[in-house]
Amino acid sequence: MNTALNKTAVFICHCSGNISDHIDINFLKKTLKAEGISVLDYEYLCSSEGQALIKNKISEGNLNRIVIGSCTPSKHGTLFKKCIQEAGLNGAMLEIANLREHCSWVHPDKAEATEKALSLLRGKLRRLENSQPLGEIKVDITPKALVIGGGIAGITAAVNLADNGISTYLVEKESSIGGNMAKIGKVFSPDKLAEECAMCSLSPLMNEVVANPKITLFTWTEVESLSGSAGNFTVRLRKKPRYVHDNCTGCGRCSRACPVMVENEFNCGSVDKKAISLSFSQAVPKTYCIDPDKCLQINGETCGKCADVCKSGAIDFSQKEEIVELNVGAVIVATGFKEYDATQKPQYGYGIFKNVITQMELARMLGINGPTKGALIRPSDLRTASDIIRSSTDTFESDSSSEDSSDHSDDTGTPKRIVMIQCVGSRDEKEGGNRYCSRYCCMAALKHSSLIKRKYPGAEVTICYVDLRALGFYENYYRAVQDMGVRFVRGRPAEIVEKPDKSLVVRIEDTLNQKIKELSADLVVLSVAMIPSQGTRKIAGVLNLSQDESGFIKERHSKLKPVDSSLDGIFVCGTAQSPKDITDTIAQAGLASIRGRAFITDSPKALANEIPTFNPLLCTKCEECFKCPFNAISLNESDRIVVDPLVCIGCGYCTELCQNGAIQIASFTKTQLKAEIEGELKEGDLLGFVNSGIASLTCDNIGSSVLTYPSNVKLIKVPTSLVLDKDLLLHAFKHGASSILFLEDPPDSPKAEVIYPLTVSHFEKLKKEMGDLGNRLYFKKAYVPNTKGLAGAFTSLAREGEMIG
Amino acid sequence: MKTIGDIPDRQLLLFKSCMVGQEYPGVETSTRYAFDRLGVDYIINDEQSCCTGIGHYTDIFEGLTTTAIAARNFAVARRCGHPNITCLCSTCYAINKEACEVLNTDNEIREKVNSIFREQGLEDLVYEKDDMNSKANFYHAVEILLSKASQIQAKKKFDFSGVKAAAHHACHYYKVKYLDVLGNPENPQLIDTIAIACGADMVRWYEDRTLTCGMGFAQLHLNKKTSLQVTKTKLDSLQKAGVELMIHMCPNCHIQYDRYQPVIEREFGAKYDTVHMNIAQFVALSMGADPYKVCGFQTHSVPLEGFLEKHGII
Repeated sequence: MNTALNKTAVFICHCSGNISDHIDINFLKKTLKAEGISVLDYEYLCSSEGQALIKNKISEGNLNRIVIGSCTPSKHGTLFKKCIQEAGLNGAMLEIANLREHCSWVHPDKAEATEKALSLLRGKLRRLENSQPLGEIKVDITPKALVIGGGIAGITAAVNLADNGISTYLVEKESSIGGNMAKIGKVFSPDKLAEECAMCSLSPLMNEVVANPKITLFTWTEVESLSGSAGNFTVRLRKKPRYVHDNCTGCGRCSRACPVMVENEFNCGSVDKKAISLSFSQAVPKTYCIDPDKCLQINGETCGKCADVCKSGAIDFSQKEEIVELNVGAVIVATGFKEYDATQKPQYGYGIFKNVITQMELARMLGINGPTKGALIRPSDLRTASDIIRSSTDTFESDSSSEDSSDHSDDTGTPKRIVMIQCVGSRDEKEGGNRYCSRYCCMAALKHSSLIKRKYPGAEVTICYVDLRALGFYENYYRAVQDMGVRFVRGRPAEIVEKPDKSLVVRIEDTLNQKIKELSADLVVLSVAMIPSQGTRKIAGVLNLSQDESGFIKERHSKLKPVDSSLDGIFVCGTAQSPKDITDTIAQAGLASIRGRAFITDSPKALANEIPTFNPLLCTKCEECFKCPFNAISLNESDRIVVDPLVCIGCGYCTELCQNGAIQIASFTKTQLKAEIEGELKEGDLLGFVNSGIASLTCDNIGSSVLTYPSNVKLIKVPTSLVLDKDLLLHAFKHGASSILFLEDPPDSPKAEVIYPLTVSHFEKLKKEMGDLGNRLYFKKAYVPNTKGLAGAFTSLAREGEMIG
Repeated sequence: MKTIGDIPDRQLLLFKSCMVGQEYPGVETSTRYAFDRLGVDYIINDEQSCCTGIGHYTDIFEGLTTTAIAARNFAVARRCGHPNITCLCSTCYAINKEACEVLNTDNEIREKVNSIFREQGLEDLVYEKDDMNSKANFYHAVEILLSKASQIQAKKKFDFSGVKAAAHHACHYYKVKYLDVLGNPENPQLIDTIAIACGADMVRWYEDRTLTCGMGFAQLHLNKKTSLQVTKTKLDSLQKAGVELMIHMCPNCHIQYDRYQPVIEREFGAKYDTVHMNIAQFVALSMGADPYKVCGFQTHSVPLEGFLEKHGII
């Protein structure tokens, strides 16, 4: 009798007949008891009575190793672990034999099922003899968050985090927060048939960012690098000099004194601001900023007029760039979108014909703080028109003093015929286009049509659309705009032609009546696609986040984890994740802040301890294991190889990389796996090594789908098949395996995308190494819905094995 | 989508074109002139036959015959160790590429073609699935020139700076297999990029840039007025944009513009200043080729003498 087994007990659950009706539990008890192992059974081990029974037996018998025969460990594994821990045992001293999904539910013959149940229990008993207690790994999480991007997504996330008590840094690369939403004069609203003032909603939020003591704002600042791991990130920020100190009162004297006019990015490039300016009048912080490329003084000329007029002495031409380092526990990426470059569709003449503009440029024009102060003007007439505005509004002491312009009436250059073109660069499979729908543009076109029709009732607005997507309550808005007399033509225009008077002709096939039309227009507005901003692309690189094929930051699961990025502790929201409108952005930003807060407050975090262990006697520090695809392994300050438990997922790739056998995965050591094989296998068995993720779930689902397969199919769970080596496979063949199946997770999640190809090449390598036995190795991807296919594969491989046997 | 890096310069079969051979032989000699000086490994094989494209698009050859002849030409290319079929004519390009796809994906047609070969004792022509790759074995000669644009620029003997030129890209290259072309099929830059390497001042956009040449194969003969009207529209746009040289890449377009410009002038009472050239002729000319012995401008209907004199070539 094995001494170790003296203190080992087996508990078998009846599962109210689910197990006991199909497996002869008395036979199991008798057989094992004859071998000196104490066995107990109970109706429902998962009930509180059942757990009390286990705890009592542990203390009565001074037990130290427990095997439970029950349903799948993915159902009650955590519960049973907690139960034995409460009885004072280490969690690693528990093994669960899956007598339900892997046995009673899939093998209808009671004798066969009983025999298999016995071998499953023996496998777990043998395994347990070789188990070691595992220490708990816990880390403290830095109780601070970083939000990257100060648009509506980032502002919402930061304010929500702060309201929930989390100290938050908000970083924005421009000189003011506000992002794209600040540029849009009016926003569409799903519940009203009217447009709302964007700034009226945004401005109070922006001011709250400054007022909230829990938020630290960095503008004119970019993220340089991020190091460390989830819960303990170190972020390096580069804070550009704005040459104006915080004591700026925002009085604007400097801007009036400045002699240099520059392009205004906020107004889509119109040359209407000074080299020292606010990006817009509601800017937050209200601290002026000098454009270092255009400022005369900074470029070596003598000027300094702004400094002369500044009463607070806020201007400082000697200001230098600063590097700031922050420690944070979680990061929210809210770096937003930019407009598709419509010059890639030269047939629409953007960048060639002056009177072809984008919806964002139209939004600026319609905004009362825009380049035309809200007046709709043909860009080809803009020169004279802006003169009117300048002379009438007196924003600047204009140096190009108004020469004429008195004879212009109010509606000079007001376009009468406006044509909008939808899906420019969206829903477009051609090179240079994007296949996705950008989601916002149908509503933006409807909103701008409505604004134009209200202000200029005589204007004719035509929208050329592919499909009009006004989802949910927006349909009411669409109907209201139709009632206003906006025309809709279904078709994608072929080409735009410019006439000598700068008016345009849009050539289109109306696909509803299959007639070619030529639409005359004074102004054409392109509804261009949303594409990831440069900031989004850059930050995905800096933080090493998975992106989709278009460059948006990919969420971990579109339904269950829609704001988790591919890295733990980093979340994403808004248009950095996918095209969406402001309403959806705000909802998603709220979720991202909740996920961020949950991550931070779960401190100290208990981590999975089934990760690599290093045998210092065998390790030669060759650093091969540093090829870990998740960069979880590194050298610490005291020259020891360490694994970052926050990053490591225990896949076992490092065990393959290590030529010296110095690395083993805790709970999945070679000795443990060999022991389980010895205990479980019989001559002629098909042995399946099952990835503990999706593959394992699929195997369990065969049972719940009332499917069957032969009882000589034995399944052993592994983190991934990467922990297997030639020695283990030979061991399995020696102990009776007729063939061996590697069952892997399909590459459908960011992590599986990395691991799957490794498992494929690992399999190919082993197949080669095994020589003739290699022909008896099989590999299969397991998809959760494909239980029938998997049961079929088990059956045919097991039959094949019987033939060999 | 093709990328420039994928364009080979080895094992090319320069696929002869009936239209080039009969109408503008200078396009072929110019291509060879350029290829020889750019280190391109190519051969011409006299066993090759016509692709049947003109006959196919004028309803003389049905699909099966065209496919069988393509299979025969593929065997010729493989046998001489030059499987990268490189066409002078965009119709040859599209016909061969399409036939290859059909032979690879339609088992019934492939078997039918092969059974004809076997019946006639032509076992050596039998086409097995995937003998050729429709994406990797078919090129237009202009793609090869594009992949050598920097060499062309380095080797040019004559600089065309100040020549106001416009490109007309071939529909059978950019529109038939539009997902497998170099660049954006809505904004083709193939000819422009090469011509810019030769120093030309390319017009970025002109009205009707995406319009076809108007030939439409049988249309030129059956609906001549419509066909010429389309050509006229395009010539009008070029005239309006002040284009002195139009550069194309397909002998069908070449015929339509060069042979029919005088006809349109006569029938519609118009007058055009634009002259026409294939991009290979333009490249050869810039690399120092003789305008007549190599480029064969004597076969053109719109005389090029004025253009050549103006730019100091003759």
